[in-house]
Amino acid sequence: MARIGVFICHCGENIGATVDCFSVAAEAAKLPGVVYSVDYKYMCSDPGQSKIKDAIHEHKLTGVVVSACSPRMHEPTFRKACAEAGLNPYRCEMANIREHCSWVHEKGEATTKKAFDLVRTLVEKVKNNHSLEPIKVPVNKTAIVIGGGVAGIQASLDIANGGHKVILVEREPSIGGHMSQLSETFPTLDCSQCILTPRMVEIAQHPNITLYTYSELESMDGFIGNFNVRIRRKAKSIDEKLCTGCGLCCTKCPTKKIPSEFEQGLANRTAIYVPFPQAVPNKPVIDRTNCRYFQTGKCKVCQKFCPTGAIRFEQEDEIIEVKAGAIVLATGFEVKDAGFFPEYGYGKYKDVITGLQFERLASASGPTQGEIRRPSDGKIPEKVVFIACAGSRDPAKGISYCSKICCMYTAKHAMLYKHKVHEGTPYVFYMDIRAAGKNYDEFTRRAIEEDGAKYIRGRVSNLYEKDRKLIVRGADTLLGGKPVEIEADMVVLATAAVSCKDSESLAQKLHVSYDSYHFFAEAHPKLKPVETNTAGIFLAGACQAPKDIPESVAAASGAAAKVIGLFSNNELTREPVVAKINQTPPPVFSTCMGCELCMQICPYQAIDKEEIKNRNGEVIKTIAKINPGLCQGCGTCVAFCKSKSIDLEGYSNKQIYAEVMAVIND
Amino acid sequence: MGGRKMGNLNEIAAHLLQNDDVQLIIGYGEGSAGRVRPLFVSNKKATEKLLFDSRCTQNLASYLYKKEITCLGKPAIVANIRTLRGIIRLAAEHQLEDETIIALAVSTGDDVKELRRLEDMEQYLSEADLQLKKEDKALLDKLNAMTIADRWAFWQQEMAHCIKCYACRQACPLCYCTQCTVEINQPQWIPVASSKLGNMEWHIMRSMHLAGRCIECGQCGEACPANIPIHLLPIRLAEEIRELYGSVTGISKRESCEMSSFQPDDKEKFIT
Repeated sequence: MARIGVFICHCGENIGATVDCFSVAAEAAKLPGVVYSVDYKYMCSDPGQSKIKDAIHEHKLTGVVVSACSPRMHEPTFRKACAEAGLNPYRCEMANIREHCSWVHEKGEATTKKAFDLVRTLVEKVKNNHSLEPIKVPVNKTAIVIGGGVAGIQASLDIANGGHKVILVEREPSIGGHMSQLSETFPTLDCSQCILTPRMVEIAQHPNITLYTYSELESMDGFIGNFNVRIRRKAKSIDEKLCTGCGLCCTKCPTKKIPSEFEQGLANRTAIYVPFPQAVPNKPVIDRTNCRYFQTGKCKVCQKFCPTGAIRFEQEDEIIEVKAGAIVLATGFEVKDAGFFPEYGYGKYKDVITGLQFERLASASGPTQGEIRRPSDGKIPEKVVFIACAGSRDPAKGISYCSKICCMYTAKHAMLYKHKVHEGTPYVFYMDIRAAGKNYDEFTRRAIEEDGAKYIRGRVSNLYEKDRKLIVRGADTLLGGKPVEIEADMVVLATAAVSCKDSESLAQKLHVSYDSYHFFAEAHPKLKPVETNTAGIFLAGACQAPKDIPESVAAASGAAAKVIGLFSNNELTREPVVAKINQTPPPVFSTCMGCELCMQICPYQAIDKEEIKNRNGEVIKTIAKINPGLCQGCGTCVAFCKSKSIDLEGYSNKQIYAEVMAVIND
Repeated sequence: MGGRKMGNLNEIAAHLLQNDDVQLIIGYGEGSAGRVRPLFVSNKKATEKLLFDSRCTQNLASYLYKKEITCLGKPAIVANIRTLRGIIRLAAEHQLEDETIIALAVSTGDDVKELRRLEDMEQYLSEADLQLKKEDKALLDKLNAMTIADRWAFWQQEMAHCIKCYACRQACPLCYCTQCTVEINQPQWIPVASSKLGNMEWHIMRSMHLAGRCIECGQCGEACPANIPIHLLPIRLAEEIRELYGSVTGISKRESCEMSSFQPDDKEKFIT
């Protein structure tokens, strides 16, 4: 027989001023099965909790209804109190008479009646509650980091230095990401490569890190602490053990006119190539779509010259399966491609380039050895126009957001240009200067005041080529819209930072949510910025939203801290509110018909098949099986199952039905 | 009016039994009062009684998983288009395995095709006419043209005749659950007795359980002793799903259920 205790909280004035808590408690005491009912000013306080504990002992309660605020905050408090008094915590439920009643209604009889109704339904539910035990799942203490840019590098090193194994997966032939392409970094103007390459080498040498370059995530299943990930290691067409990275093959390769991705098309590479001299690993790959042998069946020049015989034309993609407890997504961003800016003549005029291309021009290791020379004729430009917000903050272009890094790097570009071409003049067309960050505003002021960058607040309306000059027309909105025309030698577009092309399919493979721009979504914009909605998968860097280097690194360390926190436990404890397929032992019987439709409907891929065997070991039935480690207790399968063979622990059909019936049968 | 015996069908059936390819033939035989009835034949001699003519519209697929039939051994089943679609759908829902039954497809004339694999049945169906019966189409059009209030009144009046015999459920090839929602009494979702609300609840639930699965055979309506056109409910839902997602059921063993699957490009016009 159920012995229920009801505890009505006044929440100070929050509930007490609107609901007559005393009469709710008095009425509740008359409900069948209720053996104790009391109201109190603050149930969550120590004396309030003691009231519950004492009543459990004194009245031998089998269930508790705390009628107070939303369970979101204090359900754990009251369940813990019950557990301390020896009552299974899942026999305690909360009736929300604050958010659902006192806060949304005026004081009055009807309000008190509603509060009582809420209590009454929960009493009926609790009568059907039974004891549940938390679920324990083991934790595999290996992390997978996807993406080897600065965020992925930082996250990998932090986790590895925390003593855990890391598998770093990078799809390009080398790690380094966009940061390795940059010339100097704001706001300190320190050389990007100089600060990044030591970290890259550290990755390669770290005993806890396994690096898979030229590899991509193929598929993932499993759950927090227990992910199974398949990684496609694309054929590099070389034997990495034999290759010494001498580079002879690259110099001998006859296909030399392939625009280099690393140089942003400003220089060429060969078909067998290392993307840049500081690459990690510093071993070439064959780009099969451009390789003469793979396209025509004849060539093999690299094989002829390779001193160690490391070329492997017959190599195939390899799929490896790894297990991990956590995944960090650090896949970064892309810059918007050429076709996006017809109005700025990108792709049409050779001397209209993107910010990333300017980085390569300004880089000491770039195609011009750091001299600012325009792509069309190699001339040193006398006037350079920088256009900020090229695509960003432009709802008409479908990119409403601010790319965030452009104001700063445009100021940096203007500065670098001025430092390298003293007689040159940089012009910057901008909408606003967004320089929020440590030493950021000082930096942009320096570009304007010390380096003489001419900032024009306005947008460019027209850009065309005339006598080998680029005529840039716009308006200066600070001078009442006065038309401005500049005869520039080169134009640099601060192109919008966008999500990677395949980020959507990656998100779907990992069951991670993403926003309308296909950036991965954090679990909470303020309080869970590096978590995703999928437990055990974390975010680092610009795959979440445009981020600069310090922010990416900070997020990466944040994600690493979450991973290390997760790995500090040998097993995870999970709420036992999960779905279960009915089974009666033995002989095992289940009403599940094995139609497998619930397997499709489960948003968490938590349902698998299970074979039921008889005593002779023969399979008599194949039924669904829910993995309690993966199940999030959403109840979708429960609603869908035609034979009602699934039930949700803690929210069983019986419990909900009792609750609903209590409301109907007033 | 006597059934037109088909030498071809009977010969094949006899042959299958003789070779022990199957142990049972599920088909149609002459019943009483000029009607046909399901016939279960396990000896060669009795195959003479098998017939197929225009009266043989019943979907026999529902016998394929009934325990009292499955214990008789591997079956061959005389299959019209409806039965074939039922078989395919049952396979799609993992209730039948490939090559565990032989379908004797008889849609027209004397031409009996022996289909041993699901793939053969899919192939056969790909050339078949899957249109609704004319009278069903007419009534459906009439119902679609009604206002919501009139339609509701129509069904309330029809459902008032329901006696909760569950013949519709027994006839449906897709109602294979060993435990039906109506038989659960902890909690009792749907009242046992025939009542206005309970009848409506049962039929709405049955239709929802068939949404995205119904193969539009109309067997439930034919089985109804109260002559309620209940088959139009799941058929109407099938129409709706076809319109939304373009999918047809009972034609591929790999098909899913639109109600349990999600594709990023699914139309979401029902979300407003």
